[in-house]
Amino acid sequence: MVAIPLLIIVVPVGYSIYTFVLARDAREAGPFLELPAAPHEGCVRETEFMRYHHWELLRQVRDEVVRGGVRGEISLDRCRECHPNRDRFCNRCHTAVSLQPDCFGCHYYPASPAADAAGESRAEEGVREAWTDGSS
Amino acid sequence: MDRREFLKTGGLFLVGTPCVYGLMAMAAPRPHEAGATDARRWGMVIDLNRCPADCSACLEACRRENNVAVHGDRRWDIHWIRKVTIRKKHEADAPTRTLPLLCNHCDHPPCAQVCPVQATYKRADGIVIVDHHRCIGCRYCLIACPYNARYFNYRENDEWPNKAYPKRSHGVAESCNFCAHRLDQGRPPACVEACRDSGAGALKVGDLDDPDSEISRLIADNSVKRIREDLGTEPKVYYIGL
Repeated sequence: MVAIPLLIIVVPVGYSIYTFVLARDAREAGPFLELPAAPHEGCVRETEFMRYHHWELLRQVRDEVVRGGVRGEISLDRCRECHPNRDRFCNRCHTAVSLQPDCFGCHYYPASPAADAAGESRAEEGVREAWTDGSS
Repeated sequence: MDRREFLKTGGLFLVGTPCVYGLMAMAAPRPHEAGATDARRWGMVIDLNRCPADCSACLEACRRENNVAVHGDRRWDIHWIRKVTIRKKHEADAPTRTLPLLCNHCDHPPCAQVCPVQATYKRADGIVIVDHHRCIGCRYCLIACPYNARYFNYRENDEWPNKAYPKRSHGVAESCNFCAHRLDQGRPPACVEACRDSGAGALKVGDLDDPDSEISRLIADNSVKRIREDLGTEPKVYYIGL
């Protein structure tokens, strides 16, 4: 009965090697989020708050602007000053946790500075395809 | 410090600390108090005698400012402001007139009354506005509006001329909002600005509650009409020479 100890050793070790190889792409892709060059100078809130509560802040500001007409200093345009690349900042996390905030179908926030220069208006192509027949 | 002294000091701190914090909170600036208030009631006066029939400056300015969808198909085109041609049917050779039509920003807006989610509502300053985040696209407001001023986004809009202003996605209703974002910043609506720049100066926007405002004086000095006043919606767009 040498098969059972062998299995106990081979299966975990083999699985470790297998996942290590699978994760190679993720390791070589560099940092998960592309952080701004300068550390949060002049951000509307501190980093920790923004990391976990930015969506609550944005929702509150949204209601103040739309329902109350209070045009304050917080806006998505302000976010773009430090985080111009939505693909490598916002979308990394949103995709990882399977979130699809639909802010950017109507609010201008290009996927990358290159897309901005090219005048790309709609980054969520997948969403659009699902909503229209694609002929427009 | 004896027991009595200790209790007195401790009690003072216990009561005093919340009081100090409360005073600080009251003294802090309150951004919520800014914004749309009932100090003003926005309205519009359209002088048809000064509105040329072949001019469409206001329409184009509105489309550029508010990213209003033009698909080139009248089933899906959206008009926040449009021009209609009218003629008296019972007179054989009656002259035709053109007039700009837009959301009348009624004081009793039927669109807001029927909205099941309060996405359409009247702001404190009288502007009837759609919260597109909340709109579920049921289109009750399109049916309720007696002026046909509301439109529905039947499809996605690719044009985005004014990146500073959001566009609307497929599935929400929309209508003129008097360029609320511009009025909040103290600028006139895009159509009013374009009309003024084109030299016509037919569109005027201002405060109806202020008897000294330009539009209040225009209303007082001229024979003005509102469209379908009999419905009791109390529209706030006044026409001179209709």
